[in-house]
Amino acid sequence: MEALELLTNLLASTLRLATPLLLTAMACLLSYQVGLINIAVEGLMLSGCFIAVVAGAQIGYAWGGVLLACIVGAAMGALFALFVTTLRADLIVTGLAMNFFVLGTTAYLLQILFGVYGSYTPGDLKSLPIWRIPVLSEIPFLGKAFFQHPPLIYVSWLAIPLTAILLYRTRAGLHIRAVGVNEEAARTAGISVTRIRYLALTLGGLLCGLGGAHLAVGELALFRENMTGGRGFIGLAAVYFAAGRPFLAALACLLFGFFEALQFRLQTTVSIPYQFFQMLPYLMVVIMMVLISVRENLRRGRGGI
Amino acid sequence: MTLEEPATTDAAANQWEARGRSLLLRSWPVLRVLLTLLLALLLGGIIMEISGKDSIAAYRLLYREAVGGQRQFANTLLKATPLIFTGLATMVAFRAGIFNVGVEGSLYVGAFGAAWVGFTFTNLPAIPLIALCFAFAALVGGLWGVIPGYLKARWAVDEIVTTIMLNYVAIFFTDYLVNGPFYLPGMANAMSERVAPQAELPRFIRSSQWNPAFFLAIAAFIAVLFLMRRLTLGYEIRALGSNLQFSRWSSMPILRIIVLVMFISGALGGLAGGGQALGVHYRFVSGFSRGLGYDGIVIALVGRNHPVGVLLAALFFGALRSGSTVMEIFTDVPRDLVDVIQALIILFIAIDLSFTWWRRWRARRQESETAELQVA
Repeated sequence: MEALELLTNLLASTLRLATPLLLTAMACLLSYQVGLINIAVEGLMLSGCFIAVVAGAQIGYAWGGVLLACIVGAAMGALFALFVTTLRADLIVTGLAMNFFVLGTTAYLLQILFGVYGSYTPGDLKSLPIWRIPVLSEIPFLGKAFFQHPPLIYVSWLAIPLTAILLYRTRAGLHIRAVGVNEEAARTAGISVTRIRYLALTLGGLLCGLGGAHLAVGELALFRENMTGGRGFIGLAAVYFAAGRPFLAALACLLFGFFEALQFRLQTTVSIPYQFFQMLPYLMVVIMMVLISVRENLRRGRGGI
Repeated sequence: MTLEEPATTDAAANQWEARGRSLLLRSWPVLRVLLTLLLALLLGGIIMEISGKDSIAAYRLLYREAVGGQRQFANTLLKATPLIFTGLATMVAFRAGIFNVGVEGSLYVGAFGAAWVGFTFTNLPAIPLIALCFAFAALVGGLWGVIPGYLKARWAVDEIVTTIMLNYVAIFFTDYLVNGPFYLPGMANAMSERVAPQAELPRFIRSSQWNPAFFLAIAAFIAVLFLMRRLTLGYEIRALGSNLQFSRWSSMPILRIIVLVMFISGALGGLAGGGQALGVHYRFVSGFSRGLGYDGIVIALVGRNHPVGVLLAALFFGALRSGSTVMEIFTDVPRDLVDVIQALIILFIAIDLSFTWWRRWRARRQESETAELQVA
């Protein structure tokens, strides 16, 4: 019985920790499908965290913060699209610049607006309420593991099939994939490559904002400097891991979430310092990328660049 | 190139004009970089004014604290030291067409390597011990760089993603080392033991931490200049970076070049970490860097991928960083403003239409890569 209890808790925390990863992974997936590496997700997500807490505290409701985080995330995504498509700026350099910009600006504003270093906890802001799904949450164990969570977790579950439907069942999705496969061919077929890229990056920005909002006001209600701590990159890695397939990417995110949850458990029970486990998801991504590339190269019958 | 010979009477005048024009053309890119820097500083000033701070006073103080005296100047050189290393590290890889974002990781393993040698071989005399520390830092940093380099060269694994991931691996791995096998009890922050006293780099003046690592950075600068200009490897690096297919068709050993370049790049990153460990902290401190490796990207871009440019850019950002600490204390402008300014500079460089060389270079590279894929 105790083991079952432990498993339930582990499952529940896996799902909670995987949520921001799932949302950014879907954002990265959209840009992956239009043939762009979206390095800026980390910064977009961090801006979502900041806006969710600050706007939430101003409005007085965490939901207000979430809404604004989505809007600002989408706007930043559109800005990124403006840089890399219309202004033809270098994708990687611009992405890094946006990350640095958000990191520096949020730290600067933290001191200017609230006079605090490092972290800010607004006193009167409550985190989002926990939604208990009627009937389902009453199921023993499963109910606690799956149906007693903050609302954005359910939203992240919805985001996966919605992304898949958008990509594979709609006209826009067809255009998105066409641009990703062959930009020139898509242009010849009369698709506006620029418009499709704007669409993908703006939607991605919205999802990043939502992921950031979950991190900031989903369970607690606070902002910490660099609180995303590489989660955006894990989302990016999950997409590479899955070679652009939505459900596989989601599975990868759940796996990373499980690792993180396990690491919290192991901190208290195993004598190995937890930093060792913190390193593992990133190491796993490298190993997976190598395996995928090796397989790809073997199939093509040659290796290297 | 024109086929027409200039008229003999105008030859001298033409020559003068050509020389003048070429001087203007050659200094124009530099002017554009300076304009970018000025624009970013101007925007930084506007940000300060919006947040209700006196930007003129802040900049004046920043300037005075950067170059206004012996101690201030020494501090600028101190802050520039790791930046010279990481800038050169990033630049060397960029020139070979490899987007190495992983200098930060090399820096961490290098810093730990240097500190480890420093507190392990304590009975060696000063000079051999310090030399060994730096050699080991360069070695582990270089090997750390070789991992993504080899993966890219052999299996075409995208180096941008692997280097970002390996940075986190390095940060958490060194953090693990000082929390596990090399745990030092009784310290608030995770850190290794102190290096042997003779391994601590001496400081030139009392009021600043400026130390001989700066001259090692200058030596590295000269070495990179020599490498790029005079050695076959330098030529191969440039060839690889500007035209992949040419390198392939002239049967250059591409795998070997990439692995070597990434070793050099990582080794420079490792030296940056070693310099910080032996010259500033006298030990390995977990999480000490906060982006010195990433700063290398900014410096390589501002320095237009040229060693001399990198040196000048590193000195500029060193001045900005050393001034900002004092600026924060006296004008309560948060020093994170410097990070914002730095981000704006990268953004302007990325967007700036005048930086066509960079874009053309990337486009050409991508073209040759897609052509390659189509051939395959």
